[in-house]
This record gives sequence, structure tokens and C-alpha cells, in this order.
Amino acid sequence: MQREKALQLEDLVFRFQEKGKRNILDHVSLEIEAGGITVLMGSSGCGKSTLAAVAAGLYPENGGFLESGDIRLFGRPLKELNQQQRAAYLTLMFQNPDLQFCMNTLRKEMQFCMENICVPPEQMDEKIACAAERLGVSELLDRRLHSLSGGEKQKAALACLYVMESRCVLLDECFANIDRSAAREILELLLRMKQEGRTVIAIDHQADLWLDAADEIILLGEGGRVAARGICRENLAAYRPVFQEQGLFYPQAPERLYPPRPAGDPVLSFRDVSIRRGQTVKKKWSRKPEPDEPFLLRQASADFPRGCMTAVLGPSGSGKTTTFLAALKQYPYTGTILLNGRDLSRLRPRELYQQMGIVFQNPSNQFITQNVEEEICASLRVWDRQMPEEACRQRADQLLESYQLGRYRKYSPYMLSQGQQRRLAVLSVLAGGQKLLLLDEPTYGQDDRSSRAVMQQLRQKIEDEGLTVIFITHDRALAAVWADRIYELCGQKLVERAPEELCL
Amino acid sequence: MKLERWNPSLKAGTILISVILLSFQYLVSLNLLVFGISLLLLLFCSDARPRQIGAILIPAAVAAFGLFVMGLYYSRGSSITDSQLSSISAVPYAVRAAMSQNLYSALQLATRLLAYAGLGILFALSTDGEYFISSLMHQCRLSPKFAYGILAAFHLMPGMIREFRSVRTAFAVRGVHAGALSLKPIFTMLVNSVRWSESVAMAMESKGFCGEAPRSYYAVPKVRWADWAGSFGCIGAIIAGMLFLRY
Repeated sequence: MQREKALQLEDLVFRFQEKGKRNILDHVSLEIEAGGITVLMGSSGCGKSTLAAVAAGLYPENGGFLESGDIRLFGRPLKELNQQQRAAYLTLMFQNPDLQFCMNTLRKEMQFCMENICVPPEQMDEKIACAAERLGVSELLDRRLHSLSGGEKQKAALACLYVMESRCVLLDECFANIDRSAAREILELLLRMKQEGRTVIAIDHQADLWLDAADEIILLGEGGRVAARGICRENLAAYRPVFQEQGLFYPQAPERLYPPRPAGDPVLSFRDVSIRRGQTVKKKWSRKPEPDEPFLLRQASADFPRGCMTAVLGPSGSGKTTTFLAALKQYPYTGTILLNGRDLSRLRPRELYQQMGIVFQNPSNQFITQNVEEEICASLRVWDRQMPEEACRQRADQLLESYQLGRYRKYSPYMLSQGQQRRLAVLSVLAGGQKLLLLDEPTYGQDDRSSRAVMQQLRQKIEDEGLTVIFITHDRALAAVWADRIYELCGQKLVERAPEELCL
Repeated sequence: MKLERWNPSLKAGTILISVILLSFQYLVSLNLLVFGISLLLLLFCSDARPRQIGAILIPAAVAAFGLFVMGLYYSRGSSITDSQLSSISAVPYAVRAAMSQNLYSALQLATRLLAYAGLGILFALSTDGEYFISSLMHQCRLSPKFAYGILAAFHLMPGMIREFRSVRTAFAVRGVHAGALSLKPIFTMLVNSVRWSESVAMAMESKGFCGEAPRSYYAVPKVRWADWAGSFGCIGAIIAGMLFLRY
């Protein structure tokens, strides 16, 4: 007997501008069977998130133009269903855990979800208790959602989908912002949902976590078309060339591409540095944070050698970013931080930022203009006020060219892709000739090809200009492949690790 | 009865009507009574903390004092003319001005502001935002699309504040000085917010939310006889004050 189809897409053509030339989805046809875990993989920008939104009917209702195509959920045409009815068949979970809730606690959010599908109010309490029990989120029910960690938020989001009892859940890169242990816990919950007969479709650009759980992996190529399907753990090796062709992470033990560089003298040193968790970045009138807040770092020491790439590992929420902020004098600390042998507390901010730059996890936060070329010019001018207009522009173009961003000169920085934004941020931060670069999650939300490009470019800058790079990541493989020295933030200390220790 | 349990829609209506009524009268005593009773109610019949009340009242008191001084010195139509005033040169100007009817009109203005402030904080400090919106939905037929939109936006606030801080940090590290009133970090934050609101809207829709379709409600705020009694009592008391008080 043929199994029921959870999702049937036939010849979808979708683009964002009606008159535009580029189809995001270009004649996509895809069928997914009910009752299993299916993973859709594709490189950044191949249209997999768009595919999810179109399949759930969120596009074209929220923008875009669907030229042709037929979508069926469990055999019923999507067009005939309104949002409420669709939710009984298919619900979505998104990449950013902060942006999925409309209420302020999980209990209220679950009530909101059930109200949407007209669950009688007298049944709600029981259903909430039951779902919370089943997914192990009982203790999260009444905590404020914005105070939860990324992993807890994703669990909460999943609990909402669970309580709605929709037959299929579609997860759009739901592991992108959380660390592996949290991802594993969520995977466990998904397996439980599968046992109860629900269908799980996941979109991701990394396969390794899914290998044991997935019934089928489908690779999407250009325009969201299926490049290969029927992949599972047993026949994975045969598909290696397709993974490479699509620029995707092939699940395997990490391989080093560069020999480690010899460690030079330390550029940045931590001596008995303690940092406490606090709500606010440094306030001028009170440099001491609340005394009873827990420690993030406690008398930690570390040396970051010159001309090397150093990784700082740790689960999300462990205080990696805060450590960086302390090194930038943007967060209070006790102990000593030395930059080139000079005590940080004696350096004026301008002097400090002339030597050290940072690229944040969300690079779009640090753009100060609305034009790519202007962005670099503004940075050049900050550090050299006498620079003539023409020279400034030339230098900016030169820099953009060297980072393959030349043709985006007139674009708004917000229109670039994630990877391009990060490269632009690196450029603008280093425009003042800074020799120390801090990076917060440099490969966040990017596929293999794009993260490789970012890391390779940094590596090149290290070789050529003696740049020192320190980056934060929760991805152990990334650290093992690229870093010359690795620190792990655990037990409130910075512990040095050898790359071999990290191999999975 | 706790003020928090007073149905918020009725409470809002009552306060709105009271404010309109107060704007038609010039009684210092009524203004002061309204202000005093609001404070007493807040202190003894609600969970508002005295500190919070104080924090809001300080600017209100400053504004009232300002209005008082302004009314005292610069109001028109006083009973004593300027020439008469300047002829009694032995008395300081302030006292002379105070002797005139200006004192009374200044008091009228200043106490009215206090009365408004009292009513305002009475509502603000004893009302839960979510309860208010859900009550607006049921008692005033606010569409759910609007109501949940407001709630979602409201709950994005902590994220936006966090974002704003990180934007400012990023700017500082790039050597760009962004002052407290600089628009640049706000612009960056707004670009993000537009994107966020889109994502949140899509997340809500994918969870089956659509503005028009019927929905069930976990809890429906009710209007009890005590709510009506409270409202009528307040408005009645103000009307009675307007009729029977003299000054």
C-alpha cells in the first residue's frame, strides 16, 4: 500500500518581485511521505526557507509572487484551507528563537495557539500539562520567554506546535542558534513526536545531527529543485560529490587545512579576570555590577598569541560574548587585561579601538551608513580625519575589490547576504589598520562554502598582514579545523584544548 | 475590592469621563479631593508600590508648580489693574500679585493638573496591560488582529532594548560616537525591528492565527455589578462635587 503524502509540491515557481527575473523557486516538484523525519538540505540562498514559507502558505500572502504550482497538504489543496485549517496539517518552527512568540510566557503562548484553532477553554489546562510533561518543559511554563536561553526557547516553540496537534511540523534551521547538547535534546523530542505518528520535515545546512534520526535526506540544488534524494546513513558515502557540488557540509571528522602557526608573544592577556553576569553593559556612574550575580569567569587567565587564530569555545549563554565585551572595555571586570603589555584600564577608548576591532554575531547591527562604499569611507575617515575625499574613495574601492565586494559598491549593506555582510563588517572594522580582530560566531547561519570563504579570507590576512584573530564559536569542528590555539570556557575558567581533543 | 480587579475597560471609561468632567469645572477643592482620593485608593486598594507612585508624581508636582507660578504672574484679567498694583510700591511684587485674584486662578490650574495626574496613575499603576487588551477585545470589540498585534509588539520590547544596546556598543567600538539623542543607532534598530515584526507575524500565522476566523478564549474578562457600581460611584461623586462644592 502506498503511504500517504504529507506534502506535495508540483511545479512551484515563486519570486519576490512580480516583474523580477530571478525565480527563488524554479519549477520545484517534491513529495514527502507522512510519518517520518525528512531533512531538506541546501546551500544558503538556494531557497529552502522560501520553500518552507510557500508550503505553509505564508508566501505569497506576506509578499512575493507565485507564478504557478500546486501545493497539497495531506492530499488537500492548500488554496482551499484558511490559516486556521492549515495549522491542523502543518505548522512551522523558525530559525530565530526570539521571533516566534506573541505572548510573554510559554503557558500563555500555548493558550494563544489553542485559541487560534478553537480548542474549548476547559480542555486547555489539561492539554498544556500533558504536552509540557511529554516534552519535559513543565518548569519553563511560567518563566518569562525573553529570559530563557536559545535552546529553551526552541523547546518552548516546539511545545507550542505539539500542543496544536498538527499532523506535520516543519522546522526551518531550528538548530542554527543553539549548541549541540540543546539540539540533541530537541532531536529527542522530535523522535518522540514521530513515534506518535506525526511527520517531521526539517530544513538544515548541516546533516551530522540528523544522520541517526532522519528517514530520508533530500538535497536541494539551485532554485530549490531536488538534486538528490533517498539519502540516509547507509548510502551517504555515495553522495559525497553531490554534497561538495552544492557547497554543503559533508558530515565527517574535521580535517585541518593549514598547519598550526607557531605561537608568538601574547597580544592580549587575561590575568585573574573575573566577570559577573549582569543585565547591562557598563554604566558610567556605577562600574560594579550587582554583587550577588553569578560568575561567568572567575580568576581566569589566558594568552592570545600574535599572528595566530585563537578560538574561544563554549555553550551558548556561557559568557563568551561578555568576555569579548570586557576586553573592549564595554563590560565591567576585575583583574587585569593586557593589550600589547599595557593595562587596558589605562588605555583611552580611542587608542584601544585603533588597535582592536570586533565583528558581532549580527553584522547588520554595526553598519553606520546606507551604502557599501560609504561604509568603508566612513570607517577610513574615523581613523584618519585628514584623508582627502578622492583618496578615501579609491582606497575603499580597492579594499572592496580585494574582498570581492566591488560590484556591490552602490548597494545598501542591509541588502547583502549574511556572508557578504560579515565580510563587509570585517573590512570596515579593519579599515583603521587594526591588528587585532575579534569575531563573534563568524560562521553563524552560513553554509559550508560561505563559511569557508570567510575563514579563508581571514587566514590569508593573518599570513599576509600579521593580523591576530580571536573568534567565538559553539561549533567545535570549526575550531578544530581553523584555530591555532583553542580555549574552552568551562567551569568559569578559560581552559586550553588541543585540536585533537575536539575531534568528534 | 482591589483596583486591579476592576474591569479595565470600565476603569478606562470611568477615568476618561472623569477627566472630561473635571475640565468643565474650576473647583480647587474638588481637584484636590480627586487627587487625594486617587492616591489613597492606590496606596490602600492596589498592589502599586509607594516608590512607583512617588517616581511618577515628582514630575507631575514640578509641572503643577510651574503652572502655579505661571498662573500667578502672567494671567490676564486680574481684578486689580497694573497701574493700581504699581502704585502700592511698598509691598513686594510677588505679594501684590498674590493678593489679586491671580492666586485663585493659579491654584485652579495647578490643582487641575494634579487631579489629572492622580487619575492617570490610578489607571496606569493598577492595570495589567494584557488584561486590559483582552478586556478591550471582549468589552469594546477590538479586533483580535489588532489586540494580538499590540501584545506581540509589546513583548518584542526587551529584545529591542537589548538590540539597541548592542548597536551602540558596536558603534562605539568602530570609533563612531553616537550621543544619547543620535538617530543612527535608532535607524539601525528600526531596520531590524521591521524585519522582526515580519517574522513574528509569519510565526503567528503559521500557528493558525488569522484575524477574522472565530477563535475560542481561555479566559474572558467579565463585567460584574461591582464594576458598574464603582464606575457610577466615581462619576456620581464628581458630579456631586461639581454641584455642591463652592471653592
